[in-house]
Amino acid sequence: MSPDRPIPPEYLITHIQQALGQDPRARELGVDVAVAGGRVVLTGTVATSAQRLAIGEVVCELVDCEAPEGHEVVNELAVVEAREGGPVEELA
Amino acid sequence: MTRIAAVGDIHVGPDSAGKLAPGFRHLSERADALLIAGDLTRRGTPHEGEILLGELAGVDVPIIAVLGNHDVESDRQDELVAVLEEGGVTMLDGTTTVVTCADGGSVGVAGVKGFGGGFAGACGTAFGERVMKEFVRETEREAAKLKDALTSLETDHRIALLHFSPIEATLAGERLEIFPFLGSYLLAEAVDTAGADLALHGHAHHGSERGVTPGGTRVRNVAQPVIGESYRVYEFAAARSNGAAPATGEVAAVH
Repeated sequence: MSPDRPIPPEYLITHIQQALGQDPRARELGVDVAVAGGRVVLTGTVATSAQRLAIGEVVCELVDCEAPEGHEVVNELAVVEAREGGPVEELA
Repeated sequence: MTRIAAVGDIHVGPDSAGKLAPGFRHLSERADALLIAGDLTRRGTPHEGEILLGELAGVDVPIIAVLGNHDVESDRQDELVAVLEEGGVTMLDGTTTVVTCADGGSVGVAGVKGFGGGFAGACGTAFGERVMKEFVRETEREAAKLKDALTSLETDHRIALLHFSPIEATLAGERLEIFPFLGSYLLAEAVDTAGADLALHGHAHHGSERGVTPGGTRVRNVAQPVIGESYRVYEFAAARSNGAAPATGEVAAVH
């Protein structure tokens, strides 16, 4: 593969997922990554809003999101809600 | 009546202080114990353990937990366990604990982290490369610990507390290709051999909440992203359990 050619999406997705597992800012394995049309779309649920932003930052660096030839990062990660009071399940 | 609260995959990190505590505010009024199905922390550091203890400070009922894969990431799990136990959390690893409830009933909890390997017809075998054998044998060891721990319990009700999944059904929603990294049938076989009323696990954030083992034991994936709230509550009837499985699995009534 020539260094001048764009990296195929299949490899980019795995590079992003590996980075999210290993980068100290992220350490997250539960992010779904899709690459299409020059965009990287992140979906899933994380523990905190800071974690959500940190993951976006790690991916942005990896795909040169600020550069014209880079990928746009669409961070659609959700943050877990700390609400309680759901139904009780009775185990008969 | 015995009520057990459960959650998994809370992934406490340095930025988590104050985030979880509000969701546990009324837990002590709603349940007799809190079970945490692994991935207590993001990287498995003692510092994250201390933050978790702060989030659990308002919980006045026994807290029982197993480690998850995130909790062993920094290879400091011994320190993490020491911090949590010092803070009053009962950590299980092939061991058991008994919760005695207000009505005199008892619930025994047997816990292991578990590991992967896959499910019937599509699972790893201890064959070939040394690392492949070690991978499978790790799960065999975890399953054996779970079976022995469950068998040792003589309580009204028995719960298997895991991080990895014992069945495929509660992984539905995850990509099929990664199922072998999310759980193993060996864990279900251990549960069914020893007998239990309920098996709880986490790990599969995109999975499904409900399932049943081949032997009929109820399984619940309580990973926080799956349940979408701070914890679930399970209520056991007062009658003594014989560990027998419900005939059809999904007989639980939700009210």
